[in-house]
Amino acid sequence: MSTIFECTDLTKKFGSKVAVSGVNLKLERGQIVGLLGPNGSGKSTIIKLANELLTPTSGTILIGGKKPGIETKKIVSYLPERTYLNDWMRVHQIIEFFSDFYPDFKPKKAYDMLKSLKIDANDRLKTMSKGTKEKVQLILVMSREAELYLLDEPIGGVDPAARDYILQTILGNYNENATVIISTHLISDIENILDYVVFINQGKVVMTSSVDDIRAEKGKSVDGLFREVFKC
Amino acid sequence: MLSKLLKYELKATGRIFLPLFVALLMFAGITRFISPPMGPEKWAAPAMISMFVYICIMAGIFVMTFIMMIQRFNKNLLSDEGYLMFTLPVKAWKHIVSKLFVSMLWMITSGIVAFISVLIIALEKGDITKFTEAFATFYDQAFEQLGASIYFLSFEIIIGILVSLASGILIVYASIAIGHLINEHKMLASFGAFIILSTLSQFLFILISFIPGGAYFSNVNISSYNDFISMQWLIQTVMAYGIIFTGLLSAAFFAVTNLILSKRLNLE
Amino acid sequence: MPWELKSDRPIYTQLIEHIQLSIFSGVYPLGSKLPSGRDMAQEASVNPNTMQKALVKLEEDGLIITHRTSGRSITEDARMLEMAKTKLAQDQISEFLGKMQLMGFDQKEILTIINNMVKEMKK
Repeated sequence: MSTIFECTDLTKKFGSKVAVSGVNLKLERGQIVGLLGPNGSGKSTIIKLANELLTPTSGTILIGGKKPGIETKKIVSYLPERTYLNDWMRVHQIIEFFSDFYPDFKPKKAYDMLKSLKIDANDRLKTMSKGTKEKVQLILVMSREAELYLLDEPIGGVDPAARDYILQTILGNYNENATVIISTHLISDIENILDYVVFINQGKVVMTSSVDDIRAEKGKSVDGLFREVFKC
Repeated sequence: MLSKLLKYELKATGRIFLPLFVALLMFAGITRFISPPMGPEKWAAPAMISMFVYICIMAGIFVMTFIMMIQRFNKNLLSDEGYLMFTLPVKAWKHIVSKLFVSMLWMITSGIVAFISVLIIALEKGDITKFTEAFATFYDQAFEQLGASIYFLSFEIIIGILVSLASGILIVYASIAIGHLINEHKMLASFGAFIILSTLSQFLFILISFIPGGAYFSNVNISSYNDFISMQWLIQTVMAYGIIFTGLLSAAFFAVTNLILSKRLNLE
Repeated sequence: MPWELKSDRPIYTQLIEHIQLSIFSGVYPLGSKLPSGRDMAQEASVNPNTMQKALVKLEEDGLIITHRTSGRSITEDARMLEMAKTKLAQDQISEFLGKMQLMGFDQKEILTIINNMVKEMKK
């Protein structure tokens, strides 16, 4: 099916606090989409719901037509905002780990990227700087041939040169069968590579539009519009 | 998938336990060989130090099995690493089983290694022969009195130990999982949950003895060896009930843990 | 030519302009083969779908031709190219003239300024 990601009236409450409220969203394959919104807007919650790290209070979320579960986890590659790898492992061990659990993981791709970024596969994760760990995580996520990539702040903690490399990797990985959802604050860096942006605020979808439509209609960049819409 | 989880669980824990086991056996050996009468008299003091280190390691292993049991569950599943583990295409129950199994494995192995280390220190020449002779005599006598049911009894005892071990671990898992549901002071909540679950278990156990026929059990009066033999089937039955009860309890703890991990997960 | 994309104008339009300029200035010579849409998107650091749309438009305009099996190439029709080049120049100039008129210059003044500046243009 061509719709890879679909939310219907998706709602998530934590007690009385509403994190996501009646979200309707439909994304086709072969797109790079930006999920943009201020802190606490519900972006991370939606992504966690897609990964079955949370269960909806009401409404549905479907990945490739299926509810989040084992089948969807096989086709979703997730990069969380935090470092989530076992500290004691060496890089090549975590690559073996991913190979073991994900049939679509391509170790050669991972090793090539490590080489480009001059990361030694023998190093222990414990000894790496935060920025390097994040690069390793990104490499692992992008070395999978998934159908949906969920990247939560992929360029946040990385230097500008590495940012370019990461964006190039995302573009290089592009295929018509897969969709990439990027959740970020650093909009100006990524807006050129996005098809669509989805603005989220207080758990609701405020706007969806293509990057060019925004530029044509509002005469400003998505970054500029974001600052305007979410002015403090 | 379960075998893969087991593999990684063993790797993660083995790197702590195996060196400790090696150290324990090493110091047992050192103590043995430098202590008089085997070693020279003037090495009595270093021998005591070695013995002291040995005891510390032994205590350390004991403590470590508990810490690891808790930490592997808490750190690997319910903190940042949980983002990795729960996005693997693996059902939650397999995570629980893999950690349970590996915890039990290390507990049992620790016991065996500790026993071997004691033998290394304390075994005297001819001890083994004495022991095997005594065991053979015991076995013959037991077989004479109890017949083939000695196998069943041994089997029951082993199963009993395993089920009790599992139950002890699963109650901890369930407590940690329940604590995870609370937003603040998770550790306190887990501790509280542990107390509640333990009390509940005790309570249920007492309740069981009130079921019809249970009164009969309280009349079990082993005042002599002959009583032991004749009450034999009774003991077996009581043990069987005990195993079933503990087994059901374990299943309940497992179910609660599984429910929380699969439906009420909330990683921060 | 480096892809310098401004952030307040649609990327699609800028891509078309950039490729046109590359064709007119000879960076992509007549008849030469173009890299794939994906490669061009990576080069420009833009979304592949947007690049695709731009290439499709240029195809409609006749500047680019798609061959069934061997990808895309620049047209070999030099006359068509000249026409497109001239049209682009005319568009730029009429925008310029519009501004000059707004500023209050008349035809003679405009031509004088232009003549002087053309003379100083590098060969």
